[in-house]
Amino acid sequence: MFGLYFGKYLVEISKISQEQYIDLIKQQKNTRAKLGVIAVAEKLLTTKQAEEINNLQKIMDKRFGDIAIEKGYLLAEEVAHLLNLQGNPYLQFVQVCTDSNILTLEEIVILLENFKAEYGLSDSDLDALKSGDIDRIIPVFVTKNSSLCYDCIGLNIRNIVRFINNNIMLKKAYAVKSYKYDALSCQRMNGDHNLFVGFAGVGNNLVEIAGPFARENFDCMDEDAFDSVCEFINCNNGLFASELSHNDIHIDMTPPLFYTNGKLASEDDICVVPIIINDKQVDLLVAVDSIVDIA
Amino acid sequence: MSRILMVDDSKTSRRILRGILEENGHVIIGEAVNGVEAIEMFKSLHPDITTMDITMPVMDGLTALKEIMEYDPNAKVVMVTAAGQKTKMIDAIKYGASEFLTKPFEAAQIIEIINKVSQ
Repeated sequence: MFGLYFGKYLVEISKISQEQYIDLIKQQKNTRAKLGVIAVAEKLLTTKQAEEINNLQKIMDKRFGDIAIEKGYLLAEEVAHLLNLQGNPYLQFVQVCTDSNILTLEEIVILLENFKAEYGLSDSDLDALKSGDIDRIIPVFVTKNSSLCYDCIGLNIRNIVRFINNNIMLKKAYAVKSYKYDALSCQRMNGDHNLFVGFAGVGNNLVEIAGPFARENFDCMDEDAFDSVCEFINCNNGLFASELSHNDIHIDMTPPLFYTNGKLASEDDICVVPIIINDKQVDLLVAVDSIVDIA
Repeated sequence: MSRILMVDDSKTSRRILRGILEENGHVIIGEAVNGVEAIEMFKSLHPDITTMDITMPVMDGLTALKEIMEYDPNAKVVMVTAAGQKTKMIDAIKYGASEFLTKPFEAAQIIEIINKVSQ
């Protein structure tokens, strides 16, 4: 996921082209970061020390970590830590950038600082993005105003990562009282709390959810595609209702429904979480204890 | 091999369930999209097993289950639920449901339960 965020930023500032961005994201999936790149990115080695070890590897048949320990640059525990980071999405992205000679490590460090400032990210926000851990990434984009709303959003996003696409990008969530949609699949739940949960998208963007969930290729949002999104929501809400029931909160699901070209109007806030899947935006909509009218 | 009537308003769910059941040698003799259709088709088709979604428009699965069990107390009805429908599951047991399948579907669970109910 980190590559999506940082890569998009690099396109925005014209550091890389859109084509290079797409290529980097593709390559990232099959890349395992090298120990030297990780060590420098983690600031455990300087670039000079990493280069020295790389050069030594040309004349001695030893692993990078073993040489670093022999030279007294790293401890065995530090090497173990670095090995654990080899599948880390941030480091994979750094690796493909340097392998493709698009950016050097030094440039990446400077650009990361700019990226952080541009998007108003704290150090811990950036660490969350680097980790690729969705549970750490969600709070960067979604404010926890209501626990019920936040938990519902969290479950839906985790299930997108689980069942739909594991390489998504979130944008900052916001609240609205009315929302215009092209395509909407949604479900209401009633009981101890009233919940409204939906996914909306411009044009055919919702096929990014419909296709993977139904394991079918949809070209457009036809009835079957809507049905698939509805069923995805139904499964998510079922799991959510189950979690709530452990805390003695009981809600019943009504049949999910779909609509086109209309507007939602709510007495209280509808939380909108924009989610980018394959470069297409879908909005997750959640309202708690509010009357949401669908027109 | 069992002759199965599937009841679910979601075409996606029916397609996935049909695929799993047919791959394992069962025959789908009918598909209904709500409780009213389910009762009519049960009476005309006499399935060995009926899979019944709970949350459906027009008539929900629990009401349909109750009517089917009144019509045929030996009917084998497997309720299909999203997780979290605990209260409704308790009602379904009271009305005589044979078993439960949970969405999202897992092939192994479905086959185990259908085979168990068909014995």
